[in-house]
Amino acid sequence: MNSLARVVLAAIPPVMLVLAPFFANRDEPRVAGLPFMLVWILVWVLLTPPFLLAADRFRVRS
Amino acid sequence: MSPAIQAILIIAAIVLGTIAFALYSVRHFKMEPQEFIVGGRSFGSVLLWILLAGEIYTSFTFLGAAGYAYQRGAPSYYILAYGTVGYVIAYFYLPRVWKIGKERGLMTWPDFLIDRYGSKTLGIGVALLQFFLAVPYITLQLSGLRTILSIAGYNMLNTTVEVSIAFLLIALFVFTAGIRGTAWASVVKDTLVLGAVLFAGVYLPLHFFGSSGAMFARVAQVHPHWLWLHPGDAPFGVNWYVTTVTLTAIGFFMGPANAQAVFSAKSEDAVRRNMIYMPLYQIVVIFVLLAGFTALIVTPGLKGSQGDQSFLLLLQKYFPPFVVGLVGAAGCLAGLLPASALLMGAASIFSRNVAGNTRFVRPMVLVCAVLALILWLFLSSNLVDLLLFYYNGITQLAPGMILAVYWRRVSAWAVGAGIVTGELIALYFLEFLKSTSGPYGINPGLIALAANVAVLLLITWVAPRRQPEAALT
Repeated sequence: MNSLARVVLAAIPPVMLVLAPFFANRDEPRVAGLPFMLVWILVWVLLTPPFLLAADRFRVRS
Repeated sequence: MSPAIQAILIIAAIVLGTIAFALYSVRHFKMEPQEFIVGGRSFGSVLLWILLAGEIYTSFTFLGAAGYAYQRGAPSYYILAYGTVGYVIAYFYLPRVWKIGKERGLMTWPDFLIDRYGSKTLGIGVALLQFFLAVPYITLQLSGLRTILSIAGYNMLNTTVEVSIAFLLIALFVFTAGIRGTAWASVVKDTLVLGAVLFAGVYLPLHFFGSSGAMFARVAQVHPHWLWLHPGDAPFGVNWYVTTVTLTAIGFFMGPANAQAVFSAKSEDAVRRNMIYMPLYQIVVIFVLLAGFTALIVTPGLKGSQGDQSFLLLLQKYFPPFVVGLVGAAGCLAGLLPASALLMGAASIFSRNVAGNTRFVRPMVLVCAVLALILWLFLSSNLVDLLLFYYNGITQLAPGMILAVYWRRVSAWAVGAGIVTGELIALYFLEFLKSTSGPYGINPGLIALAANVAVLLLITWVAPRRQPEAALT
């Protein structure tokens, strides 16, 4: 169960990044002047460490 | 003093200063092979972070990403995404790889395969493969270096000579200082690159357009459909983006230099912590992209590989020589340090896994350097196309490497047959079709990887490895 939670949490940012064109393949709306797709990718890059930290809490320590 | 001399003097002073600083930092270490190749497995989280950033963010990050934004627009976003996905995948398997490496005294990827699958033949095959893929990747860094030096020399230099000198210097440096030297030199490189990239990505749009928003508005006006991807199977469209991010993320740590960096860590936690926080470093890429988009409007009309030069040309045209020199120095270090790590990688693999004696590693560094230089003198190609070739080739190693820590039933035969299949298909697409977009706009490397995995699974299903308990100890 714990290892499932770990994998799911860690997998969320990669899925959002790999499938970005299906969620955000748009120039507009611009966010702070940046194209929407670029912002989408940027936000998920920045969210990756928090998601990995959360996933890491479910790691079985040896 | 002419602008060319000013800029080149700044670059020379910074490169030499960096080498001197790194040599000074490592002066107390005796260069026996374990120290030379994996830094005595003593790097804490911070030095490991610096080394990884030093070898991962290359002149491709610096020039290629800007060139991609300049030439193609939105497809360049992939560069921001793939590294991040690569770190997430690595977060799972690299700490385990480190642990096995520590217990078994491993230093290279072929070491790891030999240890896990018990086959010397597989190890030698993969060693040769990595060796021959590392060399074009080094030439890639040299081409980046030439671009920078010819612009910093205001097109008045015979850059071939300068590039050769700089590269031989760095080879001698590696010969002397080993991986710890590369790590310390990366302190300077990472700082300078960060400064240069912030200048390029933040200041340039402000300077020319008033804000990055105004810059993007202009890009969208002059080049409609530049800031989002073409649908479906169009060249560099949605299918290409999805498959390329997937492929390059899977292959992210398969390079010959990467295993060494991982094994140089002091602890499993240092590796894990780095994989968690490295995505933050990806932010440098976004600034490079902004510089590329700015150059697209300010210095339009560059074709093909000239796009890689876009934002440096812009600096040369509109800024004083010391700016060209400082940014150029950052770019030169961004080419030289990954090249130094690759030289070490190629040399350790050749000496340990092909020649069978780790003692040869230091002379091999010099041999590899001369080999790469000779190849470079007779080879010129667009930065990104070379990178894609390297990536497609190196990524074929991923199934065997990653499954080694998860699944005991896979045999050396299954891994080897998978790799051969994958490489042949990757070669077919790249060498015979000369295309980076395969059927349906899919990156052909991913087709090769899928065939690789299919062969591996089929052989594992038909003939699973006997004595699976011997695989993991």
